Amino acid sequence: MGLYGLNPPSRPHQTDAKMSRPTVTIIGKDGAPSGATHPMPTVFTSPIRPDIVQQVHTGMAKNKRQPYAVSEKAGHQTSAESWGTGRAVARIPRVSGGGTHRAGQAAFGNMCRSGRMFAPTKIWRKWHIKINQGQKRFATASALAASAVTPLLLARGHQISSVPEVPLVIDSSIFEGAAAAKTAAAFKILTSVGAGADVLKAKKSKKLRAGKGKMRGRRHTQRRGPLVIYDSAVDGKELVKGFRNMPGCETCDVYSLNLLQLAPGGHLGRFIVWTSAAFKALDNIYGTTTKPSELKKDFLLPSNLVSNADLTRLINSSEIQSVLRAPKGGAVTKRAHVQKKNPLRNKQVMLRLNPYHATFVKEKLGEEKAPAGKPQPTAALFKEIVNQD
Amino acid sequence: MATVSNQISSDLIWEIVRNNNAYVVSRRTGGGVRFSRDPLNLKNMHTRKYAGFVNEKAVGVVPNENGGVKILSKKASASQKPAANFTSTTFHGGKSARRPLPTRLPRTVTAPISVRSPSSASLPSAVLSVPSSLPPEQKLRGNKAKKAAAATEESS
Repeated sequence: MGLYGLNPPSRPHQTDAKMSRPTVTIIGKDGAPSGATHPMPTVFTSPIRPDIVQQVHTGMAKNKRQPYAVSEKAGHQTSAESWGTGRAVARIPRVSGGGTHRAGQAAFGNMCRSGRMFAPTKIWRKWHIKINQGQKRFATASALAASAVTPLLLARGHQISSVPEVPLVIDSSIFEGAAAAKTAAAFKILTSVGAGADVLKAKKSKKLRAGKGKMRGRRHTQRRGPLVIYDSAVDGKELVKGFRNMPGCETCDVYSLNLLQLAPGGHLGRFIVWTSAAFKALDNIYGTTTKPSELKKDFLLPSNLVSNADLTRLINSSEIQSVLRAPKGGAVTKRAHVQKKNPLRNKQVMLRLNPYHATFVKEKLGEEKAPAGKPQPTAALFKEIVNQD
Repeated sequence: MATVSNQISSDLIWEIVRNNNAYVVSRRTGGGVRFSRDPLNLKNMHTRKYAGFVNEKAVGVVPNENGGVKILSKKASASQKPAANFTSTTFHGGKSARRPLPTRLPRTVTAPISVRSPSSASLPSAVLSVPSSLPPEQKLRGNKAKKAAAATEESS
């Protein structure tokens, strides 16, 4: 039975169900908790899939493009003809006539000065990408889930060190009566909940773009700040005006969430400031595990293949531990791949190789004289016999 | 885990952020070594082990605003509360590392010494500053041990 089939029949920690749906504090006036809480919408338990989000983002980012092309006539507004062979010049078409420097110059080719470009761009290029609706919905749910993971927010570079809680939910009563219609008031609200640092970071990040983009309407680069998600039915639309001039800050209605804002650049973990009305609407929009979505037809929230991805928790569960055998081997194991020791210098290694070495050394057998003494010199008679003819 | 759901483990987060994140510093020099600007990264290396912002528990050493160092430690229980995610201890903030020592001496040192010798009150302050935990006397081995044993036998 593999990891995917693992679904413990009895959960040892009954808190698991509760842990998967914790509550979120709703922050009231001046950044103090309002006392009210709201259970975490189920969409935040969606699987976090950077691959799907990146793919959908790449497609969606292409859907706002304007067609462009060079003029159909560019490089062809001359009556050039080739001179043929025998004139000791290339056979490329050449401008006819005389009287100007242009006459006799090569034309038309992509290698020619004032010639047409290679494969002139056409307006009927495939500019837009169709993305399956199921994939778009999956990517949005995934990006929302990632926006509640503190390390992913930090990895995107958001300044959240003074934010009381992630996800950050502000009571809708604060936005009542167009209270955030002015940028100063809107900024004050963000500062009170600790989100001001992220706006200031975006403000200070404005730089001139490198390259030609400067002259093509993309003069500056700037970091993204918080995304304020509201419910226009409850919060009204005035806050859009309050936030729109705040550097890096964007607003979005909870009923029309946009992946390009939820995961800019395809990177998960946008810092989102929710109004409480928008946060409460999420369960209606995306549905729960038991209740289908009210607004999206045939939509079920994506669920994880593994019911618990915490590997340590799985290994330490009583279900796994009860079927494991005891570890083999003793307390001390032989170390493999250690440095080779020289037995002539290291006595212990020598003894391991040659147990007799102990006795050999103790009895000084190495220093013992040969029992018969030195051999006798060769007898003179022997030499005489050998040297005989 | 105190995260939103038990589906989000730090291993998953690492797989998401390992290729690129706000802290990583990649240069082609030095064989393409990758460093990290994460304050909770003890070795400033972009590795799974030292990526403090990914791990549930982490410690970090950062310079204090007015001198000294601050030691941060991450609370695993407050992972969803960035403002309350750290405990920080400041060492020598705005003060010399040496100055506080005499004032702290009585608290840390008197008790063990008074246990050792009742007449510690008469001891000079230099002796008082000897740390309470002296290293144990070294055991002699080999020939030195034999000689020492022989010396004690002779004297007795």
